[in-house]
Amino acid sequence: MKQDQLVTVYDPRGVIRSVNAPISKRVTQLSGLRLGVLDNSKWNANKLLRGASELLAKELGFSAVNYYVKHSFSKDAAPELIEKIAQENDLVLTAIGDCGSCCSACVRDSIALEKLGVPSAVIITTEFVRETILTRQALGMRELEPVVIDHPVSSITAEEVMQRVAQIRAQAERVWKGTQTPLPETVQIQ
Amino acid sequence: MNNTVLTEASQVSKLVSADTDLVEYYFERGFTDGLPVVPPTAEKVAAIVQVLGGDPQFVEARIAPRWGELTREVLAINMVMAGCLPEYAPVVLAALKALTDPAFNLNGVQATTHVAAPLLVVNGPIAKTIGMNGGGNAFGSGNRANATIGRAIRLIMLNVGGGWPGDLDKSTLGHPGKYTYAVCENESESPLAPYHVEHGYKPDESTVFVMAAEAPHSVTNHISNDPEGILDTMCSAMSTIASNSAVLGGHIAVVLGLEHANTIAKHGWSRSDIRHYLFHNHGNRFIDLAYGHRYGKVYNRNLPKYYKREDDTRIPIIHSPDNIHLFVMGGQAGRFSVLIPGWGHMSTPVHRPIDATSGPDQADCSTGTCAL
Repeated sequence: MKQDQLVTVYDPRGVIRSVNAPISKRVTQLSGLRLGVLDNSKWNANKLLRGASELLAKELGFSAVNYYVKHSFSKDAAPELIEKIAQENDLVLTAIGDCGSCCSACVRDSIALEKLGVPSAVIITTEFVRETILTRQALGMRELEPVVIDHPVSSITAEEVMQRVAQIRAQAERVWKGTQTPLPETVQIQ
Repeated sequence: MNNTVLTEASQVSKLVSADTDLVEYYFERGFTDGLPVVPPTAEKVAAIVQVLGGDPQFVEARIAPRWGELTREVLAINMVMAGCLPEYAPVVLAALKALTDPAFNLNGVQATTHVAAPLLVVNGPIAKTIGMNGGGNAFGSGNRANATIGRAIRLIMLNVGGGWPGDLDKSTLGHPGKYTYAVCENESESPLAPYHVEHGYKPDESTVFVMAAEAPHSVTNHISNDPEGILDTMCSAMSTIASNSAVLGGHIAVVLGLEHANTIAKHGWSRSDIRHYLFHNHGNRFIDLAYGHRYGKVYNRNLPKYYKREDDTRIPIIHSPDNIHLFVMGGQAGRFSVLIPGWGHMSTPVHRPIDATSGPDQADCSTGTCAL
């Protein structure tokens, strides 16, 4: 085709540059380890995390459970808080990614903790699986596997909280050990 | 898995057959906000890049949550697609710089299930130079600068930021401001000092203000001939448990229509008086925020610790008069104002100069006595 029969079209998306970082080394033995719990202050996050960490501590024999709260569920935890959690713990459990901004921020907190060498189980809900895959892809940690529980979380009964605690119990151990069933590695961003 | 550098959209332009329907081409690739885009041409892109200072590959920002690189060329492509003129470029660029300030938390604003969209308010002489509308129907249709500047911001949030509905934008409902949401203050007719002057800038400097915002909520008062009556109506609009701010605080914008502003100013009230009156005379009862404890005893840890958790404690929706961003806009006729609730404490509004070399003076105008 001749040049004068052609027209230029543009791609308005801009380049993504990200280096895919590995997740931290997984653990084989859980007893005697220190569990850090990062509560994002979203509705019912505390009920989920207290229920799950008590159950996990009892069954898995952690040496300590340390509880932290970040002020804003839609923002990343402060770097100082991430550093403190990484120093004081061997594993992390964080929740709850049950909304757009909180899911993204929880995944980002987990990536920050993984980069500091702490295996982190981030709890998201079924509605936010696709966002989690896209976020870990955009941020360059495609091997980060979350704990996925039923949506919703913020308006559920005590009985429903316990049902989700059981889901966390079943999956968190697998995330820390690196045996969690992987989500699809990547999805196409439009 | 290897540590590889991922690149997408590495080919910014390519050639296709001249008989391609370009409007449909961009629709097919999903590079639009749902409306037809203006197909970019090399000449139009270059004209905008030149206004931005040349160097098309210069990276101005990375746009969350996709973290695409916003080069000057990519910025220009999106501006052309939105229908912008080259002279709008400094405003669009300043708005993007404000939106990517970490305080704004664009990542959260893009991803949230809330309705929020970034509201842009331009102050200073550039608004008039490029023909923005802060007068009648300011938030409505009909003005190219308002419409296309706001649209360019949205196209960049979609194309470069990846905030596609259903993917990284999880908004439950959204609102019409997610197409375009850009206005300026009606400085020439306002009886008060402009917003940017209140915040320490000189009148001849130009600024952008961005806030994660709900849609404007009309505040009608055709009766009152004093500041208290008009502002009590605004307080009524603010005092609802329905907005995010009721428990999540943050910031709001209050936009006084000209007639309301003139009545208030005639009584000698300053911006500071208005903001403090609103702050001290609105709020929700704690028991209402706790849903009467119908679903269990509520403490509500999202509220500051310093409020007593007693039934009749008045809980304001913002926790300082400084979190009320006051503007005057609108046409000459009509006793209407609007309230624009924010998203909550998760995003902090950003106000910055369009010319990066200027900045606010040390002495600000918090008393409101800086009226021109």
